[in-house]
Amino acid sequence: MKFKYIWFFIALLCTAVSFGQIKIKGTVKDKANVPIPGVNVIVKGTSTSTATDFDGNYVINVPNKSSQIEFSFVGFTSQTVSIAEKTEINIVLQESSQALDEIVVVGYAAVKKSDVTSSISSIKGKELQTMTVGNVTESLQGKVSGVQVTGQGGPGAQPRVLIRGISTVNLSTDPLYVVDGIPMGTSINFLSNNEIESMEVLKDASASAIYGSRASNGVILITTKKGKVGKARFNFDLSSGMQIMNNPYNMADAESYATIMNTAYNNSGYSDYLPNPSQYKGKTTDWWRAGIRTGTPVTNASFGVSGGSDKHTYAASINYYNSDSMYGVGGWERVTMRIANDFKFTDKFSAGITLNPRYETWGAPGNWADFDKIDPITPIYKPADQLTGLENEYSIYARSPSYIWNPVAAVKRYDDYTDQYNLNTNGYLQYEPIKGLVIRTQASVEVGDKIWSKFTPDFVIDAAHEKAEINTIERRATNNVDWTWQNTATYTKTFAEKHNASLMIGNTMEEYNGNDVWGYGEGVPNNSESMRELNAATKNRNSGGNSWSSSLMSYISRFSYNYDGKYYFTGTFRRDGSSKFMANNKWANFPSASVSWRILNEGFMEKTKDVLSDLRFRAGWGKVGNQNLPSAVYQSNIGQGFYVIDGQVVDTSYPSSMANKDIKWETVEDVSFGIDFGLWKNKLSGSLEYYQKKTHDMLFLKQFPTYSGFPGYSTMWTNVGSMQSSGIDLLISYKDKKGDFSYGADLTFTTVNVEMLSLSSDGEKLYGASNRTLTVKGEEPGYFYGYVADGLFQNQTELNSHTDEHGTKLQPYAKLGDIRFKDVNGDGKLDDKDRTKIGSPWADYTIGLNLNFGYKNFDLIANFYSSIGNDIVNQNISDLYNGASLTNKVSGLEQMAWHGEGTSNYVPRLSKDDNNENFTKFSSLYVEDGSFVRMKNLQLGYSFYNKFGLDKLRISLSGQNLWTWTNYTGVDPEVAGGDPNTGDRVKGSGFGGWNYPVQPTILMGLNVAF
Amino acid sequence: MKKNLFLFFLAFFAILTGCQNNESEFPSSDDPTVVVSTKEIYGAPSRKFEIKAALADDLGLKSVEIQIPELSLDKVISFATDPLLKSYDLSYFFEVPANRGTSESFKIKLTITDVSGNEVNEEINLRLDGEFAAPSITMITPKEGAVILLSTSNEMPVIFVVNDDSGIDYVQVKCDALGIDETVQLTGSPQSYTFNKTYTLPVTAADYVLTITAKDKFAIPNTGSLSVNIVATNEYPAIYLCDQPKGTNLTTDAVGVPMYFHEKNGQDFEFKYYADSDNKEIYFLGQESDFAPHCFGLNTSGELADDVNSSPIILPTKGYYVIKVNPNTLKYTATKYTPSSKVWANIANGLWHDDEALRRPFVSVCGGGIQGADWDTWTAWVQTGLHLANNPNNPYQLVGEYTLTGTMEATFTGQWWNPSWRLIKNGICTMSPGENGNAKYPAAAGVYKVVLDTELERVFITKK
Repeated sequence: MKFKYIWFFIALLCTAVSFGQIKIKGTVKDKANVPIPGVNVIVKGTSTSTATDFDGNYVINVPNKSSQIEFSFVGFTSQTVSIAEKTEINIVLQESSQALDEIVVVGYAAVKKSDVTSSISSIKGKELQTMTVGNVTESLQGKVSGVQVTGQGGPGAQPRVLIRGISTVNLSTDPLYVVDGIPMGTSINFLSNNEIESMEVLKDASASAIYGSRASNGVILITTKKGKVGKARFNFDLSSGMQIMNNPYNMADAESYATIMNTAYNNSGYSDYLPNPSQYKGKTTDWWRAGIRTGTPVTNASFGVSGGSDKHTYAASINYYNSDSMYGVGGWERVTMRIANDFKFTDKFSAGITLNPRYETWGAPGNWADFDKIDPITPIYKPADQLTGLENEYSIYARSPSYIWNPVAAVKRYDDYTDQYNLNTNGYLQYEPIKGLVIRTQASVEVGDKIWSKFTPDFVIDAAHEKAEINTIERRATNNVDWTWQNTATYTKTFAEKHNASLMIGNTMEEYNGNDVWGYGEGVPNNSESMRELNAATKNRNSGGNSWSSSLMSYISRFSYNYDGKYYFTGTFRRDGSSKFMANNKWANFPSASVSWRILNEGFMEKTKDVLSDLRFRAGWGKVGNQNLPSAVYQSNIGQGFYVIDGQVVDTSYPSSMANKDIKWETVEDVSFGIDFGLWKNKLSGSLEYYQKKTHDMLFLKQFPTYSGFPGYSTMWTNVGSMQSSGIDLLISYKDKKGDFSYGADLTFTTVNVEMLSLSSDGEKLYGASNRTLTVKGEEPGYFYGYVADGLFQNQTELNSHTDEHGTKLQPYAKLGDIRFKDVNGDGKLDDKDRTKIGSPWADYTIGLNLNFGYKNFDLIANFYSSIGNDIVNQNISDLYNGASLTNKVSGLEQMAWHGEGTSNYVPRLSKDDNNENFTKFSSLYVEDGSFVRMKNLQLGYSFYNKFGLDKLRISLSGQNLWTWTNYTGVDPEVAGGDPNTGDRVKGSGFGGWNYPVQPTILMGLNVAF
Repeated sequence: MKKNLFLFFLAFFAILTGCQNNESEFPSSDDPTVVVSTKEIYGAPSRKFEIKAALADDLGLKSVEIQIPELSLDKVISFATDPLLKSYDLSYFFEVPANRGTSESFKIKLTITDVSGNEVNEEINLRLDGEFAAPSITMITPKEGAVILLSTSNEMPVIFVVNDDSGIDYVQVKCDALGIDETVQLTGSPQSYTFNKTYTLPVTAADYVLTITAKDKFAIPNTGSLSVNIVATNEYPAIYLCDQPKGTNLTTDAVGVPMYFHEKNGQDFEFKYYADSDNKEIYFLGQESDFAPHCFGLNTSGELADDVNSSPIILPTKGYYVIKVNPNTLKYTATKYTPSSKVWANIANGLWHDDEALRRPFVSVCGGGIQGADWDTWTAWVQTGLHLANNPNNPYQLVGEYTLTGTMEATFTGQWWNPSWRLIKNGICTMSPGENGNAKYPAAAGVYKVVLDTELERVFITKK
């Protein structure tokens, strides 16, 4: 009975309490009308709270009508709503890119953005997906301060990405890409931008030292899309359009070509090369039109589904990218799938697995320059009277006297393709035995198979000059199996409310194995498609094969601490052991430390909080390495060479490279200082950073001294020299909303100064790009090194005065209209010693400006990128302006070139002989200002929400690379590094030529979510 | 307002500072001095003349400007000022344009400036009627490389003619080994003079160098000289086979005429020779460049004789011969034979190919002084104008036509020097491996006929 009263009393009390409360319910969704599970719903000023369920629904009791409810969720801007008379409140949360509680991936961990102490830039996948690109780094251009991206045209081309300049001269400058925690090398061509959830760029060593020996060029962490709790949600993204390839030059027609060549011949004292030019009027061969497609299709498509429950989330997508080449033959095609499953078996035990099968195929001719360079008089096909009827289909083309091989015929013969198949499996197990302690093991296996096939048909276009008398077939199959296993334990604890600490320790193991087999044969009975097999070759069959392996074992740790959200410290330590080095230097340590002071949280800053939303200072230091050298440089190698001895060709062996037992990593030591700020609730925010990084023990491939007895071409890798990069990164963002109109702008500004501090010996000169660049102590690496073209000789007086002090002509073969080369050292001779610095491939600064506007359901984005202060060597000048060769020239060259006093001070006179070496001497004639501003992307979109039975439907129209403002007269001002195979990756930077340009592209886009 | 005023004055002073005059930073000094080596310079069209002067300044020279506006000369020579240069010997050469007349004259203006800004001018007359050609010396006898057979005579007649437009001052003949040092001072400045004198040689064999010098009478005298090498011997070092008619200039060819012997044993010389027609006429010569003094032909009795007036030896029929001759015993034999060496047929259809099995031999040339040729056998292949063709009348001869640009050297070759014939001294074209070293042959620029005889291993390159 007693209990009955008690129960009655309790029930009465509850009724009384609830009697004064109001029950509020509703749904929380995002802008795309997708329910958001797990949103915190709190009655402001009370401890009453709840969370949205699987479908975004919530129910909460509030004390009275004057109460306010606050809705908050990671990655979204919190909203506070007054109750008043409402009983149902439906909320649409807006995504926030600047939220300080946003999670940032930092390498083997993820932390809140506010806790980051080092230099890390984040960019969301959505921003990267605004452009249709094959390689996602192309879309990164201008969006992250401190990152310079130089675009490369052509299907499958990989842009050059430099993070805070360069820190090496001889090794790769590409950053390390880490996808979902697994290092994937220095290229991400395999990844569709639609697969990416977010990207973090680790810019300084305090951030990247956790990746140790591969982090000297910076690290880019990529997180792919994962499933989210909620109902199954389907997405379909399609972007399709045309890449435009207009002829960058207005080439001479047949009549004009004859006039130009005759002028060149006459100026050199020869009779006309093509008498009576008017006879060629109307007989121009339009090679460009015959072989180059003005518009080539490009398509990027993705279809995915994601969703899940508290116990299991999933995301699956299939992605397709296709870019045809401008030749109408070949291109690049990529199909990838990504299937991610995450399981939460218990509160303590979870696991996940991601499968990523991929297929790529690529290959395209590369001779588009020949369509401009071949003379316009030669017809495409041989005239009928020259055909015997016995020619095969590749032999019916005409031969050009210009010595340019018929480009239409070359494209017709093209058969050089690569297919690549990969499967990546990435899984993890995670166990949390006690609160705050997470033990995780993650493993990845990458299996790849690449097959390269090439067939060259036999043909005879000209018996002496343009032929292949026997067909050849070649095929190479390359397999790789790489695996990674990493184990970490992380303990996070808050002591005495204000001391927040986290310690992570772990180890990783990686192994990379590859092998290839290769076969070659000649004399396939005919050129038909079905016969293009090695087994069909009847002559000179040959084969080869090789295998290689490298491995890395590491121990890693990170300690993070902050006091009361004001003072932060992070220290990391990595110890790497690499198979690339011998016992003396097999292991190396890569420590880092960084501190941050979030001054805004100090009491004395309280009054500024109306204006300031964030203010903190950062400083970091760290050491990272570069081990991107060939796998087995610690081995001595024997090379093979053929020599004629006593009239006999003898197969000989010689020591081609020698082991250096002391070889070790290039080490980059980096310090950086930064300030992050936010104003007016982060409407205006940004960061400013200064960095300085020094590279020690740089790796150089050095020749042996003559007295050593080794042949001159024997080489050895050795650690010598040092260099330094320093600069400023600046990011300023502004965003606001006025009614239905929202707008925002991000400005990135990056400066880089690079200087060689020392080389292997005093006064050493490192030449690059066929002696056209020089690298010396105290200067930036790879500056353009040549003669100074001091205008043209306009009259006889100028010509006569260009002598030494005794009247000896400095340029004895010069004539009026030739280039006057400067006697730089004033010694009265024009020789190698007069070569000097004539330009720099390195930009003074790069700028990105990213604008976005929204009005109701319309959205507009515009991205601009600019590189200022760099020079480019326009190698095409020789092809286009030099009368010494028989290749076609630009239209009107006879008027552009010097033809009398005052007619030109830039383009030398036309000359068949070029005795003055106007074009063969590398001079400032070739060096042009490479600065440019490019509109990377302009996109207008319109979204429908909850229409047509869909959650969201967005259509868009965009133009990429539509406008470029530059004084550079070459093909494209985006010019990257030189040939890495000749060691010119850095030392050959900035040489523009007939590089496949970054093409303007017009695209239609469609995004559907349901 | 005060702030604006301050900024204004700051800017004003900045401009004033920036506009400070750029006058010399050196103290005032005396005018520079100039002493020219001559007030009148002789020049001539297409010829360089020298401007010489001694410049000096008590403080330091800054520059000298040389101007001849009519000849488009305006040259400034600037001097370094750290350290200051107090004196300078000007020596500046300038070539008079070819299109100027010899009767023209100009003023050369020199402007000398010192570091204090002082400036002095000096003028020099330039006349274009100068005569700068050295007297020409034409050797009649002995010719370069002449052989004097001591067993026949030990006398050496020396005859040469000297010509000069401005008149000859003197002629000098010297030979230290023979003790000859003879100067003929001419009176009346004749424009032509013939020297004719016979010297007696010792009876011992020796090589001599005869040096002839002639000086003219121009205001700035010109001197010409010529050296002639002479061999005085009791034996002939070489005998040449000449199939050219007497009187032919034997120095116009590049290589091969007359033809050097093939074998020598004492004074027994053996030639292999191809007579390209019936009744071919030949001589044997004791020297390479002339028919005199030793020309071996037939006397009226049909016997071999050393006589420049002798008749030719006649090879009756076309074909290859082995010819033996002894200049001492004056005996010779000529025997016809059939060659058995390899015939390089069908070289016109040669083919360059990386696969050796698919190659077809061609014969072209690598070398220097041959238009279009260098030392790359690929060039030899692609320059089809250098390819030799088979002589349809003689399978052992490969023929062609080259343009020579000066002193030449050559190796006749196919792909990768296979086959190849290296042109060594004396016109011998040795087939690989053969002897090493390419000989250089002086040649006047022009078009030449080329005959490579693979049987004889000789090449004949004669002016077309």
